[in-house]
Amino acid sequence: MSKSLRIEDVLNWLSGLSMMVALYLVFVYAPTEATMGHVQRIFYFHVSSAWVGFFAFLVTLVGGIAYLRGGNRDWDTVALSSVEIGLTFTAMAVITGSIWAKATWNAWWPWQQEPRLVLVSILLLLYLAYLMLRAFVEGEERKARFAAVYGIVAFVSVPFTFMSVRWWQRLHPVVFEREGTHLAPAMLATFLFCLVAFTILYFTLLLHRSRLGRLADQAEGLKERLRTGEGG
Amino acid sequence: MSFLNKVLAIVGKDVVAELRTKEMFSSMLVFALLVIVIFSFSFELRVENVAQVAPGILWVTFVFASTLELNRSLAMEMENGCLDGLFLAPMDRSAIYFGKMLGNLIFISAIEALMLPIFSVLFDLNLILPSLLLTIFLGTIGFAAVGTLLSAIAVNTRAREVMLPVLLFPIILPVVISATKVTGGILDGVPLADWAHWLRFLVAFDIIFLAVSYMTFDFVVQG
Amino acid sequence: MGYLFAAYAVFWGLTFAYVFTIASRQKRLENEIEALSRAVKREET
Repeated sequence: MSKSLRIEDVLNWLSGLSMMVALYLVFVYAPTEATMGHVQRIFYFHVSSAWVGFFAFLVTLVGGIAYLRGGNRDWDTVALSSVEIGLTFTAMAVITGSIWAKATWNAWWPWQQEPRLVLVSILLLLYLAYLMLRAFVEGEERKARFAAVYGIVAFVSVPFTFMSVRWWQRLHPVVFEREGTHLAPAMLATFLFCLVAFTILYFTLLLHRSRLGRLADQAEGLKERLRTGEGG
Repeated sequence: MSFLNKVLAIVGKDVVAELRTKEMFSSMLVFALLVIVIFSFSFELRVENVAQVAPGILWVTFVFASTLELNRSLAMEMENGCLDGLFLAPMDRSAIYFGKMLGNLIFISAIEALMLPIFSVLFDLNLILPSLLLTIFLGTIGFAAVGTLLSAIAVNTRAREVMLPVLLFPIILPVVISATKVTGGILDGVPLADWAHWLRFLVAFDIIFLAVSYMTFDFVVQG
Repeated sequence: MGYLFAAYAVFWGLTFAYVFTIASRQKRLENEIEALSRAVKREET
């Protein structure tokens, strides 16, 4: 118990610290972009949020497969926790992306110019469906089984959605490539650091959220014992 | 019984049941007409070239019709307790998957075959083209492959009629996007080379989702 | 500049909101588990 507590503490501090450093890099260290100006600084946290969302759903896929193979409830808890965190970060990516689009194209929702924004919002819908499914199924074991299957199918569809959205947009001229191929070295360093910081934050949140899942299981078990105790 | 015979037995039972009642076909015919009338009123009065909106209308109709069919397919089994009997039958669960999938594929294709001439007449467009039929067939395999798995999940949930579209639509979105694009290309007379990559895309989707659904179906129907 | 501020405000708002829900749910469950285990102990003695 004390050892797992220590891992929690280390991760808490590490993620807090790295997020502070990330903020410093984004606002002070990284140079201001020439054409877009300060607004470009949204890029660092926006893309990192999208990355965490994507990574979280990948973890859900792995958790789903592991649950189906071994039947260990902990994997289901990890999968569910990861979906929750992934949805939070995807929502951030969608909102910050929309704000950025407003600043760049003067439109909150640029269907044509920014297919990636559309893609991320489809991710949001996919995994909202995952949560809805869990809420509508009776029985813990069956809930976990169905959710695992849906988590697998949903993630397999992501590359297809990505490609079709990409190709769909190709008929229209690409007005403006957002990332460009040449980020200045200081910008690239900032971006990479943000990715690392967000990944640490993800694991910290996953640890806490999984602990919550285990507590819920424990409470459920105690309730069950009380019920059988009264019955017998 | 060989694997193939088992699959065909399940398909046969569904087809015979439908041929007796003709519930599906009569209701789908009315459904298709209604959809076309609704779309005509909401679009056509303002659009000068029907070919521009036809692909979208066609595929939205197909998606809704498939959802209705998939919901009905397992709900019917559920109501009469047939589903439990089916799963208790001494056979490989994957035979059930392929049986139900083929049944759904046949029914959805039949519905689409019913709708195409109606669309052609009412929109005054020739939709019965070999390339278009191929596209529709590939798209329908995608719907049936994912839809059979997800309807088996949805039928075990509360509010199952709502659950199926919520689960299904975001996953078949790539099929809808690519099929609509190809249909548009065919109607505009764009040469094959320009949309061949979309057809390959559809084939890849079909193969991968048949494989994934086949592998996971076992976990959905156990217990 | 206003957009930049808005974007980061949204980010931190959501992050803290999420952390807060986790923390409050954990606290509630811990209390519940404590009450339940007391009840189980009473039941057994």
